[in-house]
Amino acid sequence: MSAIEDLVTELSRLPTIGKKSALRLTYHLLKQPPEQSRRLAQVLGTLTERVRLCERCFNLTEEQPCTICKDPRRDAATICVVEEASDIAAVERTGEYRGVYHVLGGRLSPLDGIGPDELTVTALVQRVGAGGIREVIVATNPKLEGEATALYVQEQLSSLGVLVSRIALGMPVGGDLEYADGVTIAQAIASRRQMR
Amino acid sequence: MTQASRVTLSSIAIRDFRNIERAELTIPPDGIALVGDNGQGKTNFLEAIAYLELLRSMRGVRDRDLTRFGATAFHIGCVSAGAAVNRVGIGVERTGKKRIMLDGVDTPRLTDALGALPSVCFSPADIALIAGAPAERRRYLDIALALSSKRYLAALRQYRAALARRNAALREAARPGARHSSVAAWEPALAEHGAVIVEERRGWVAEGATEFTRLCADIGERAKMQIEYESPLAAAADVRAALAEALHKGRDHDARRMITHAGPHRDDLAVTLGTRDLRLVGSAGQQRTAAIALRLLEAATFRTRGGAQPVLLLDDPFAELDRKRASRVLALLEESSATGLGQTILCVPREDEIPAAFTRLERWTVRDGVFARVAS
Repeated sequence: MSAIEDLVTELSRLPTIGKKSALRLTYHLLKQPPEQSRRLAQVLGTLTERVRLCERCFNLTEEQPCTICKDPRRDAATICVVEEASDIAAVERTGEYRGVYHVLGGRLSPLDGIGPDELTVTALVQRVGAGGIREVIVATNPKLEGEATALYVQEQLSSLGVLVSRIALGMPVGGDLEYADGVTIAQAIASRRQMR
Repeated sequence: MTQASRVTLSSIAIRDFRNIERAELTIPPDGIALVGDNGQGKTNFLEAIAYLELLRSMRGVRDRDLTRFGATAFHIGCVSAGAAVNRVGIGVERTGKKRIMLDGVDTPRLTDALGALPSVCFSPADIALIAGAPAERRRYLDIALALSSKRYLAALRQYRAALARRNAALREAARPGARHSSVAAWEPALAEHGAVIVEERRGWVAEGATEFTRLCADIGERAKMQIEYESPLAAAADVRAALAEALHKGRDHDARRMITHAGPHRDDLAVTLGTRDLRLVGSAGQQRTAAIALRLLEAATFRTRGGAQPVLLLDDPFAELDRKRASRVLALLEESSATGLGQTILCVPREDEIPAAFTRLERWTVRDGVFARVAS
């Protein structure tokens, strides 16, 4: 295989990159000064060398523990449980949450061979069992597999006497009832709140 | 009830579907009579029309086996009137990629395109509806209900997804070295969506049971034929709670067999003659009568719930019926709707087998997948 083909093959393994985009990226790189490609190769190398999982929360990090776990200003008694490390970035963008996290490393998906043993639930149970935790917020995605995962997490924590909560489901802010699907509206009505 | 509008197919184009390499037919509002020997492509033609409704084979054949030998994809397109959508185009590649255009607009979600061209097919193979395994009758219920109730369709999809996962979790848990099991985590979803399926099936059978008995009597059956919804949950007041409990109780048993036992995926639609199972005591003619009554009921469901008089696909439907019964079935088809007989695509092996009611239909022949119009 030629060098061009090699790179195209590797690039098209990436999500959202098809054969055509991979080819375009490859030709683009060939037109740039060689330093650019070298720099890219170097950063990729450092990335895999330096980035590890946080021992405490399984976030992606270059330090142990990660900056969030280490931050004394954060509320270490509240844990937000998410599926992937990328979900942390989404919650952090809000600037509203001041607690810490726990990354499960996926969701229950037995058809793909992902069972409880493949997730970090046991580590979460140990972490909560060690004490000092007031609340666990389960923020897995509100889909079939995310719901089952949330349920499983709740069940595992149920004997530890910690408050387990689930993120609210319903209408998105700025949404229109007229355009929302039936399932969402039904869910929003079921989890309505009293106005004060 | 608003009057059902009559769905008519005005043209159909088929490419590389089964033994049909290329066919383009213009179809009159009353329909056509298609004459051809066995194995020439009659049923394939009906299957292509039914594909526009089900988005898969009505015979349960896999998509890649529907593509003509040597071709890489098949296409079916139609222009119709009376349905919500007037132009449907479907392309299915051997790789499994399926593309659907409704009125020229790409429709990425298959569920949005289901039922685009309402049709009901009467065929000798329908005998399996009565004589076959419960899965045949569940499939029948699922099609009749999923195409007429969005709620049912959504529940069915979710239920199947959750069921596949619980079964996979049961297998996973049986693997040596597995420490934790997620079997229980799938049960709330199964109970929630399974309950919708049970309630809708129960309601549909309650609604149609009298009609079924009447249809069988009208076709000429003297003993009383009945349908009954058969499910351990059929009588439950709170189906969701009952199913959740059954799943919980069955967990150990399920774990040993590595399969989920409780739930609507094990239901049946019992068809009885007098008090006995028609499957065991019925003659071939009686079973055929019951199968036709089920198809008539399916057509009635589309009329009353979907407001559309479906296209009738008749695949040599009177082959095993005596003349008297055959003419009654035709009368029932006609009287069942204020708009008269639906557009009919009739397939028969020989010209002299075209019933009198259909001799006025435009005639076509099919031979080795090639269609030709017979000059009148």
